[in-house]
Amino acid sequence: MDLFRYATSIYGDSKVVIGASWDLLPWFVAAGAAFIIVHAAVKAIAGRRGHVQ
Amino acid sequence: MTASETRAPVAPVVAPSSERVLRHALFDRIYHWLMAASVLTLMGTAFLPIAGFKFEWLSLHWMTGVVLAVLVLIHIVRALIWQDWRAMILDGADIRDGFRKAKAALGGRGPAPGKPGKYKIAQKLYHLAAAVLVLSIIASGLLMLLKIDTPFWKRNPYWFDSDTWGIIYSVHGFASLAMITLVMIHIYFALRPDEWWLTRSMFGGTVSRDEYVEHCDASRWRPEDRS
Repeated sequence: MDLFRYATSIYGDSKVVIGASWDLLPWFVAAGAAFIIVHAAVKAIAGRRGHVQ
Repeated sequence: MTASETRAPVAPVVAPSSERVLRHALFDRIYHWLMAASVLTLMGTAFLPIAGFKFEWLSLHWMTGVVLAVLVLIHIVRALIWQDWRAMILDGADIRDGFRKAKAALGGRGPAPGKPGKYKIAQKLYHLAAAVLVLSIIASGLLMLLKIDTPFWKRNPYWFDSDTWGIIYSVHGFASLAMITLVMIHIYFALRPDEWWLTRSMFGGTVSRDEYVEHCDASRWRPEDRS
């Protein structure tokens, strides 16, 4: 998976970066989802532990 | 025992008879919701076409981007001149309490974390991340306007060479992608029941005095009171 999008230079002899790769979109969504799941789990466990004590 | 005697003492600026304390002035709430509408419009016009929903997105995208730039400029001026901008800056107490809170959440023992001022450490870190990303997006986006015709100017793509344009577009793209993660996290916290007191204040502007006393250190944040 590429981090960047590329195009051929106007001279036709090299690739130039033209921006971030949109293939990364699902990874950033997944990062948000992962944070939410981990935070919710930690809060739930901490809340249960506090409730028991 | 009267009702006022059962409450914990608070800062003198909050009169004993006050039921509500002002957290967000109307101007700041309007700014927040206009910014939210702008960011969601920008994300929709940026990523829906990538996801396969084809429509004429460019005009709405750049015009909304200009609106966002103006909103952020107003916010910066207002924060620096009329608001206490230090309330959003991380300080030593935030870092100390952050460590204590993390330690307690992981089951460790030690001194209890203190209460925050107006904003918690997580809110300050979030604001810092959002500020870096939004300013990066605005700066790169304003430069990208040089590549399109608008009613105000003609395109001139020769300001920068292709490598520099690649950097500008990459900054815009990566910061925009990271904004997806940040917006998801922001909405998640706004919807959490233990954060509803904050979410409500972004609609109505105030928190109850009990919420203020429960969540905030009166020596670190002295709000205006509102009856």
